[in-house]
Amino acid sequence: LLGSTGLYFPQNEYTETVYVGQPAGTPILQVHAMLDSESERPHFYLCWPIRIPSYSQWFQMDINTGILSLNKSLEESDFALLPQSSRRKSWPVKKLILSAMVLPKPTRKLQCIGKNSPRLTLYFVNATVPQCAQTDMEELCFPHRDTSNPHIMENRFPGALRQLRRLTRLGICPNYTISYNTPAPFAVNENTTELVVTAPLDREESEIYRLLLVCTVLTEKIETKLRTSLDVFVNDEDDNAPYLNGTDTVEVVISFNRSQDASFATLSVYDRDLTAIYPKDQIHNKYVGTMLNTDPWIKDTFDIKGTFREKKAASGSIRETVHDYQLVLKRNLYVMENRTLQLDYLVNDTTYPGLEGTVLLHYNITVLPVPIRFTNITYLFTLTRRASVYAQVGRICVENCLKFDGFGVTYRLEVADKNVSAELQSCYAAISITQSPTDMWGLLYVNDTEALRRPQCQDLQYVVIAQEEHKQLQASTQILIVLDGEADKASQENQHFLSCAESRQRGDCEAVQGLGATTGRCQWRQGTEKGISENYSTCSPDLRTCPDGFCDAVESKDMLICPQDCTTENVIGGHEKGLMFGIKAGYGTCYCYSEKCFCEKDNVEDAICDDMCKTIIATAL
Amino acid sequence: TSVQTRGCLLKEVHLNVTDLGLGYRTKEELIFRYCSGPCVEAETNYDKILNNLTHNKKLDKDTPSRTCCRPIAFDDDLSFLDDNVVYHTLKKHSARKCGCV
Repeated sequence: LLGSTGLYFPQNEYTETVYVGQPAGTPILQVHAMLDSESERPHFYLCWPIRIPSYSQWFQMDINTGILSLNKSLEESDFALLPQSSRRKSWPVKKLILSAMVLPKPTRKLQCIGKNSPRLTLYFVNATVPQCAQTDMEELCFPHRDTSNPHIMENRFPGALRQLRRLTRLGICPNYTISYNTPAPFAVNENTTELVVTAPLDREESEIYRLLLVCTVLTEKIETKLRTSLDVFVNDEDDNAPYLNGTDTVEVVISFNRSQDASFATLSVYDRDLTAIYPKDQIHNKYVGTMLNTDPWIKDTFDIKGTFREKKAASGSIRETVHDYQLVLKRNLYVMENRTLQLDYLVNDTTYPGLEGTVLLHYNITVLPVPIRFTNITYLFTLTRRASVYAQVGRICVENCLKFDGFGVTYRLEVADKNVSAELQSCYAAISITQSPTDMWGLLYVNDTEALRRPQCQDLQYVVIAQEEHKQLQASTQILIVLDGEADKASQENQHFLSCAESRQRGDCEAVQGLGATTGRCQWRQGTEKGISENYSTCSPDLRTCPDGFCDAVESKDMLICPQDCTTENVIGGHEKGLMFGIKAGYGTCYCYSEKCFCEKDNVEDAICDDMCKTIIATAL
Repeated sequence: TSVQTRGCLLKEVHLNVTDLGLGYRTKEELIFRYCSGPCVEAETNYDKILNNLTHNKKLDKDTPSRTCCRPIAFDDDLSFLDDNVVYHTLKKHSARKCGCV
């Protein structure tokens, strides 16, 4: 026998109705306690909270049988004595609450102890008991509006769990014979009409018994059968050892993702017992895991995160617990760290009473170093000399950079040939590189348009150096920027660039020398969809980067470059906001003055084809 | 600086959100309040002078703005679900109080 916890009530709630005029000694209901052994004897008591109610003396409980009965005849004056329920002034029913307790030995204390004190709810009706003629058979057979279901602990001693007869109605129809019936492993004791469980139950076999109770009423003339259902739940205890469903070992390779809290492989341990999440202090089926490695590097670097979930076994409908143990990184790993190890994790079902309540898990971990290198030997970009300041030239990235997590790579530009004249040196100010803190891309952009347009400045050759943040590794590659178009001596004075986003029409847009424009002129995007669309009409410095729903490192340098992607202000008109910044979708044309953006359908678009035009089209057709 | 007058009044109309012409697709409705009415009573010497100058063509092509009936406070935000079960919130979309400004 496992984990005996002593006597307990299989039911938390009992209800019955009492009437005026019922004499002293009338039985009302019977409570039952489940036993741990045949030798155990329950002792039943009514018990009270600190404030004992006025009606406490009206009832008594039989110490041996658990039968609650009247201590006095109930009078109308008793009903009047009880406090009014404020909401229903003339309501003919009052509710009395009693509690019961059960102990293995006699006691003299009458305060409720422990959690297992069922509530006995009595409805006191200000009327006399209905006579046989006024009582239908349903009323005689089954308790009225009793919705409580019994709960039985698995692996326990069998016995009686519920009184089926309505004790208050015993004498009402003396000529009737009432008997009950139910299927195994439950039965009805014919002498006492108690529902009995005939054998210990196993939750892992059946969690719930949906009983069909049959009540047979035999009168002089006819036999009537009435049916009701009763669900008996089986409570769980920790009587199963943890087991593995397949493997106890998993291979883990850690390379590009080296960030703290990154999670890797999961090993699962199964347990046929349940794990409750409430109350939180419960210790039933409690699992404790221990890392067996003593190496401080391993202890500082890895952790096992244990979670559990409930699952129904594929074979049937019995719930079980799955404990998942996931390998997580406790810190960021450096790019050079390189190691192979086995991490052993011992899982212990601490409340399992038998031997073999433990399972050993193995994580075979390989930490690979991350090489920092460029795939391209030389990057080649072409750039028109007409490009505006902040025009994007291209972007670069070391090999696998988009998979990197937990460490960063920064880029910087250097002049390839350091022996050039000071005049040519100044040409290299034309281009800069930038990077957003969360992004692995390095973005090349026009920094100095004056240098770009100067005739002396020919193709630009740089070296880009990628450096890992802890300066353990670096890589470099060549960048050649071919300058296209005429060098312009005339426009050497500081040019003024406007924001493309201000233009509301194609014609205006394409005439503007916009900030960030790669070709020197703004580009128009014509939306075609009706309604609010991600493909809204708008004017942009470069349609490849703006608006693409993402405020990149160059765009965030100046709000005037691409407010469509970068605005943080409220947008006026029909639109959908971007996740953090910008406009995700807009209605008609979206345009912005500084950071303030508007989306609206341009009525001009509809008016392009006026009545005259429609007539012409109609005639043509 | 604004002056509440008898002429400039808050009016309301019951509309579908789609009537607003903002492109939202939804079956939701709203009460739209707007400001309407003359602002003659709120005019000052400044307005009279402007009126005279415009009439006598002393201001060439320039026609400066006159006193007009506008919201001086807005209704609470309006939130609604569109047909794709996306929430939208309209701000400053409907007048609460009007004035000649």
